[in-house]
Parts: sequence; structure tokens; C-alpha cells
Amino acid sequence: MTSTNSQLGQWLFNPFRFIAGGHALLLGLGILLASGVIGWLGKTHFDGVIDVHSGLEAPLWCFLVEGLINWICMAVPLFFFGLIVSSSSFRIIDVLGTQALARWPYLITALVMLPDANRRFSEYIMSKLTPAAQTPAISYADLAIFAFALMVAVFMAVWMVALMYRAYCLSCNIKGTKAIITFILSLIGAEVLSRFAIIRLIT
Amino acid sequence: MKVLPTICPACENRLKVKSLTCQQCQTEIQGQYELPALSKLSVDDQDFVLEFIKASGSLKEMARLLRLSYPTVRNRLDEIIEQLKLAEKANEDIGKENG
Repeated sequence: MTSTNSQLGQWLFNPFRFIAGGHALLLGLGILLASGVIGWLGKTHFDGVIDVHSGLEAPLWCFLVEGLINWICMAVPLFFFGLIVSSSSFRIIDVLGTQALARWPYLITALVMLPDANRRFSEYIMSKLTPAAQTPAISYADLAIFAFALMVAVFMAVWMVALMYRAYCLSCNIKGTKAIITFILSLIGAEVLSRFAIIRLIT
Repeated sequence: MKVLPTICPACENRLKVKSLTCQQCQTEIQGQYELPALSKLSVDDQDFVLEFIKASGSLKEMARLLRLSYPTVRNRLDEIIEQLKLAEKANEDIGKENG
């Protein structure tokens, strides 16, 4: 039982111990596409490496490309930092594959953001921030659904960042302070770059 | 099978071989012999090295056999290489101290 739990824990918090390279890349790309399609259905944009926003209508390709931009913007700096910092030889396909797979928690975020209640509540907040706009009616159910989706989205963002860090450490064989510093630098750089690229894409 | 001890249980220093015996004629040779570098690895690591050699040095094959990902296996091999380098360095240092 303990061994089963430990195996399950490994799959949840460090799946890259068992899967990397081409398999992880295929699975990760499938998850990115599925998140994009579900995001399109629920008008949920992943408009930055760790960003989630709801409400703006856009064609399906925009949602799909957002996922790919986020993935590439994170994986490429990590690969170059790996080349500089790691004393091991490593494969680019492991970095790309594990970083794609690390984004799977956002598939759950896309699912919990599907109900219309989230958009109604987002519009309600936006109308409160812009005095001229008309305030739409919302119910307590909308509020409860939005609060639940918000909690899940925050939890999934933390989980995804933890997975991306583990993926980086394993695929480039980097540990300790060097890993933490280079990961944080990559995350900040990727966030800025992906936001810029996606805003350019949408506008 | 008994596991060859490589660390002194009293002071935790590296052990050396003091005597070797021929089981056929009972000839016994005494001296101070270094243990081979591989014997300084843990039993798990020694098994890993053996499996790696049997897999013709293929990390992909090792990953398939152990049901682990390629980078996991490669990182373990890197750790073993690091341990062997440290063991070699320690041996060289002892050699220099003994003249």
C-alpha cells in the first residue's frame, strides 16, 4: 500500500522520473492542444506562462497558439541556462518534452473555468472597476462557482510551477542554488516574453 | 551472499584488504591492498553498473529495463561517475601521503 502511494506520489509530483523525451513531448503537446480547445469553449486564455484570464472572445487558433508560446518561452531559456550551468550532457527533447508535460495542471484549470458563471462574475468585477459600464446581475451560485474556480486555478498554478522546476532539474541534471536562481530568472523572462508575444498575437 | 564491507564500523574509514587465501591449497598472502574502485560503490550502484554493462552501455535500454525515464537513468550514471572520481582522488591522495 505504501509502495503504491509512493508510486502515485511520484507520478503526481515528479512524473518525469518515469516519462521524458519524445513520449513526454507527444503527451504534453496533446495536453496543450486539449487545454487550448477547452479554453476556447470556456473563453479562458492562458495569456502568459502562468497567467489565466477569462472572458475575451477569440478564434480557436489564438487559444492553441497561446499554449505553444507559453511552452516555448519557458523551455528555451531553461535549455540555454542548462547548457551554461549543468556539468552533464543532456538532450533538448527531454527539456521540451518535460516542460510540455509539466503544463498538465492547466488542463484542470481550463475545465474548472468552463462554467458561464466565471465569465459573468468576471464581467461583474470589470463593471465595478469601470463606473460607466452597466453592472450585470450575478447570483450567489455564480460567486460560489467563481470562488471554487479561483482556488483551483491558484493551486494548479503553484503545482505547474513546481512541476516545471522538477522537470528542469531532472532534464538538465541541475540541483541546489544554481537550479533555483536560473529557474526563477527563466520564469520571469518567459513571463514577460510570453505576455508580450500573446498581446501582439491577440491585438 | 554476504556483502563485502568497505567501511570500518568503528571509525568509518575505508577498509583495505589484508589477506588473500587460496581455497585449494590454503596458501595465504598478507599485505595492504586497495579495494577496487567499483567495490566502494553501494550494492545498488554496483548492480546498476553491472546492468549497464550487460545492456551494452545503452542508457535507452537501461531506461526500458528499469522502467524509468532516460534523464533519470543518465543522472544516476552521472552520480556514480562522480563517486568513482572522488574515490580515485581519495586513493591518489592516500598514495601521495604514503610516498
